Amino acid sequence: MSGSVVPVLGRFSVEKQESLLKLSILSISVVLAFSTRLFSVLRFESVIHEFDPYFNYRTTRFLAENGFYSFHNWFDDRAWYPLGRIIGGTIYPGLMVTASTIYHFLNSLNITLDVREVCVFLAPLFSSLTAIMTYLLTSELHSVGAGLCAAGMIAIVPGYISRSVAGSYDNEGIAIFCMLFTYYLWIKSVKTGNIYWAALCSVAYFYMVSSWGGYVFLINIIPLHVLVLMICGRFSHKTYIAYSTVYTLGTLLSMQISFVGFQPVQTSEHMLALGVFGLCQILAFVEYLRANMTQENFNVLFKSLIIIISGIIGVGLGVLTLSGKVAPWTGRFYSLLDPSYAKNNIPIIASVSEHQPTSWSSFYFDLQILTFLFPAGLYYCFSKLTDHNIFIILYGVFAVYFAGVMVRLMLVLAPVMCILSGIAVSSSLSTYMKYLDSSNQQTKSTSKVGKIKQDSSSNTQKEGIAYIFVGMITFFLISYTFHCTWVTSEAYSSPSIVLSARSHDGSRIIFDDFREAYWWLRMNTPEDAKVMSWWDYGYQITAMANRTIIVDNNTWNNTHISRVGQAMASTEDKAYEIMRELDVNYVLVIFGGLTGYSSDDINKFLWMVRIGGSTPEGAHIKEWDYYTPSGEFRVDSEGSQTLLNCMMYKMCYYRFGQVYTEGGKPPGYDRVRNAEIGVKDFELDVLEEAYTSEHWIVRIYKVKDLPNRGSR
Amino acid sequence: MRLVSLLCILVVGISQCLAEKRILALLENLAVKETHSIFFSMLNRHGFSVTYKVADDSTLQIKKYGEFVYDHIVVFAPTVEEFGGSLNADMITEFIDNGGNILITGNSNTGEVLREIASECGFEVDEEGTNVIDHLNFDAKDTGHHTLVVADPKDFIKSELITGGVKSPLLYRGTGILADPGNPLVLEVLTGSSTSYSANPEQPIKEYPHAVGKNTVLIAGLQARNNARVIFSGSLEFFSDEFFNAEVAKGNGKAVAAGNAEFAEALTLWCFKERGVLRVDSINHHLVGETSPPDFYTIRENVEFEINVVEKKDGSWVPFKGQDVQVEFVRIDPFVRATMKNVNGRVSAQFKIPDVYGVYQFKVNYLRLGLTRIQTSTQVSVRPLRHDQYERFISSAYPYYASAFSMMGGVFLFAIVFLYYKEDEGKKKAE
Repeated sequence: MSGSVVPVLGRFSVEKQESLLKLSILSISVVLAFSTRLFSVLRFESVIHEFDPYFNYRTTRFLAENGFYSFHNWFDDRAWYPLGRIIGGTIYPGLMVTASTIYHFLNSLNITLDVREVCVFLAPLFSSLTAIMTYLLTSELHSVGAGLCAAGMIAIVPGYISRSVAGSYDNEGIAIFCMLFTYYLWIKSVKTGNIYWAALCSVAYFYMVSSWGGYVFLINIIPLHVLVLMICGRFSHKTYIAYSTVYTLGTLLSMQISFVGFQPVQTSEHMLALGVFGLCQILAFVEYLRANMTQENFNVLFKSLIIIISGIIGVGLGVLTLSGKVAPWTGRFYSLLDPSYAKNNIPIIASVSEHQPTSWSSFYFDLQILTFLFPAGLYYCFSKLTDHNIFIILYGVFAVYFAGVMVRLMLVLAPVMCILSGIAVSSSLSTYMKYLDSSNQQTKSTSKVGKIKQDSSSNTQKEGIAYIFVGMITFFLISYTFHCTWVTSEAYSSPSIVLSARSHDGSRIIFDDFREAYWWLRMNTPEDAKVMSWWDYGYQITAMANRTIIVDNNTWNNTHISRVGQAMASTEDKAYEIMRELDVNYVLVIFGGLTGYSSDDINKFLWMVRIGGSTPEGAHIKEWDYYTPSGEFRVDSEGSQTLLNCMMYKMCYYRFGQVYTEGGKPPGYDRVRNAEIGVKDFELDVLEEAYTSEHWIVRIYKVKDLPNRGSR
Repeated sequence: MRLVSLLCILVVGISQCLAEKRILALLENLAVKETHSIFFSMLNRHGFSVTYKVADDSTLQIKKYGEFVYDHIVVFAPTVEEFGGSLNADMITEFIDNGGNILITGNSNTGEVLREIASECGFEVDEEGTNVIDHLNFDAKDTGHHTLVVADPKDFIKSELITGGVKSPLLYRGTGILADPGNPLVLEVLTGSSTSYSANPEQPIKEYPHAVGKNTVLIAGLQARNNARVIFSGSLEFFSDEFFNAEVAKGNGKAVAAGNAEFAEALTLWCFKERGVLRVDSINHHLVGETSPPDFYTIRENVEFEINVVEKKDGSWVPFKGQDVQVEFVRIDPFVRATMKNVNGRVSAQFKIPDVYGVYQFKVNYLRLGLTRIQTSTQVSVRPLRHDQYERFISSAYPYYASAFSMMGGVFLFAIVFLYYKEDEGKKKAE
């Protein structure tokens, strides 16, 4: 076969060869993007991962079964008992609509896939599309070679894979595609100044808004681009047409998403876009006036206009902000600008691990060689500054900043890293490849003999350097591939609903406790039982156990979460009052002391204390009561008495004092905290143990009724 | 065939009828049956089937194959230290927690097992040898220790359902009981007068008595949360033929017939759930004007909640007459609290659902002295308006509609003018 291909290739014209090469590289990237995300499916099974994806999965199933209107009006009485949650109005529906459209499409073709399978494989599918989109965007920005390079890079970049492995069915999975799609169309419309492209861009923006809250980044980076163009004096009719169309249409469309509602015209996050839109009009008007007036008249008019308009805008904004019409700067926004803001002020935001500032090592871990190629890419962009290059520079710089603020925004950084690195690799390679090529051509071509003879000695030197350089880049790219595969396989392919560990003899142990316990809840508790747990497990309980829960991962009501935190942090009597108030039937805790599973409730407990104590009702809960006098958080006998008597401690360590966990250690030895627990023999007054999973990871307690013959 | 099935139904009906009326009487000795014959014949007259056993009978058994074989227990064995057979205090509390009713009598030498049961139910029997003594209210037949106490109707619990509306004084000789003040379920059915106290009459009083004045409970009751009822009388003689037939004469006053018989009958019937029992036959809620409950409610809808309550009177269920039943519409806190109208046992209220969505409960928590408690909660979810249930055109927004449409018209006209109006000097770009 391969023997016959070469002559066939040889018969094609250069363009055809090129497009065949392009096509094959691109399709390899696409296949690679899809297949590298399948580790978790192959290693475990086709399951939904983590926490939020379970909610998305549940809503998608609802949408697929009941249609869009009942989805849009869905009031969920299984979550946030007894407040309930209007699901239709509090989510970005893009993901669910996409998945259920694919599901219905496949079913209409008689390919009967389960909704779950569609959900599991949606993220890899969209990653493939992202690879194509990156190719298009980069080719538009720079060159086809850079595009192919970037497509290959984004197919395997760990920073993006972390959010898009098979089973990680989350908004980000499709949002990155939407974002790059919007950027591509934006670049197109800036380049052409065509209303057609701009309108398409706003439709893509609408899809982006419908799928991820991160659209705010997009609606700030595009106006910023326009603003920078204005400042640089590059503002043109093309930009004017593109931005005016995208902003008006895009804003109107984005307001159709009920979760977004009137935010685009009220909140401060969107004000830059509005301001730039106004500035565009003013600038265009000024240009028009300047073209039609004498210079002196224009100057007078210009000055007075500036004063009047800025005065009106300032007063208007002030009045609106004071009257509360324009939402004041929200906490999430501040936390973007000031990394310590959320930690100091809003415990619920700070408690989410993905809202933590990024550590330096994770940049290398998630991006590897791209970290170093990025500045090179920036250099190449600066060296040939165009309108659209400014855009990618801005995007790159801001993404780096935001990724430094919040771990999860690494996701926004990854594509631009790939694009800029693609540009860097392609530009530098084409620079040096020239020398390798020319050495071949040198013997063939005889036209420029004189010049070549002059350079022939330096040419061999250059050729050597070129070889070294090309070799080096190849080596880096190969090591990048190995690194990416390793990271994907080791770090990002664990479903976190099924845990695995290595035993002493090196064999793999699977802890399937979560599903075991949720299944127990589903089969053994009354249908309307209310389960209280820390909010992390809310989505999983509703999706897998199908039981009502008090709080879940949609942390919209701080007071309610705080109430649960108070129950966990209080003594049994106090907790019982809260649990009666909330009609709680079962309490679920995650405990890792037996297996060494470190992200359990005891390790999260300080957040419960902080969040519990952050509302007026929980004022009696003080973080310092849970530390030892020397300021340590200990569960052994030296731990603080408040901690040793609180509900969470009792629920986690009930009957644990009799269990041997490690050889050579006393019974009740906690393998996560590496300590022998402080209180071993105690009974529960208001709870009774209902179920403990095989490895004790999930423990479920039933809340007792009031005693039949009197008070406690 | 039909006859047989009818017969079956009849048999099942009868046995069910009897099933609620099986009494186990645990006696000190068989002589008690004779000395308290009026009481037992009263039980038989009311249709109870009584099984008599001596309290330390070694074959004693109240649970068979995991089910209790009696519905009520009478313990007329004050001094028994330990029951025979498998019966013990734990078994008795389990019996109560499963809805069984029990009438216990003690005396000045109350046995250990009865003390244990009493303390499980929230009262405490005074020490051994103590008697209720009242130096002002004693019967003429008293032997000098003033332990044959006369209880005045003003010291009865204020519930005719329990006392039967007895107006005559009662004779009492026995130990005093202390009620646990922390237990809200304990009823002080009969207390001593303000001059009574509980002490050992044979010995000089050195310490302050445990129970003094009104705190001296003569007959204590408990209605558990599952509506099981417990009566603990400090006096066995209170139920005896002798006291039933006695005449009471306080000091040198006129002798009147003692109310013991009447009071004991009322008390026993109350304890064994023949009186003061409410039952909720049906709970229903629906929109005003409809009859069946919807899957969910929407905010600001008018809703009707009704329950059918019947009361047991003289062995048959009749519509409940109470006018003070309230319903609450609760989501953590009650959002609506309404007193329900009672029309012939059908208790109902109409109200408007608040403008707050969430999961609510219709809660009825009716607790009146002497009646079993009604405690129901029915969960419903209240949804916000559907997207198409909002007003389509808001009158205050007409200026905006006008501006929007005039703008559209304006742009259309402008477009026509812009596209088709030709100036002589040639095309000029707007802006």
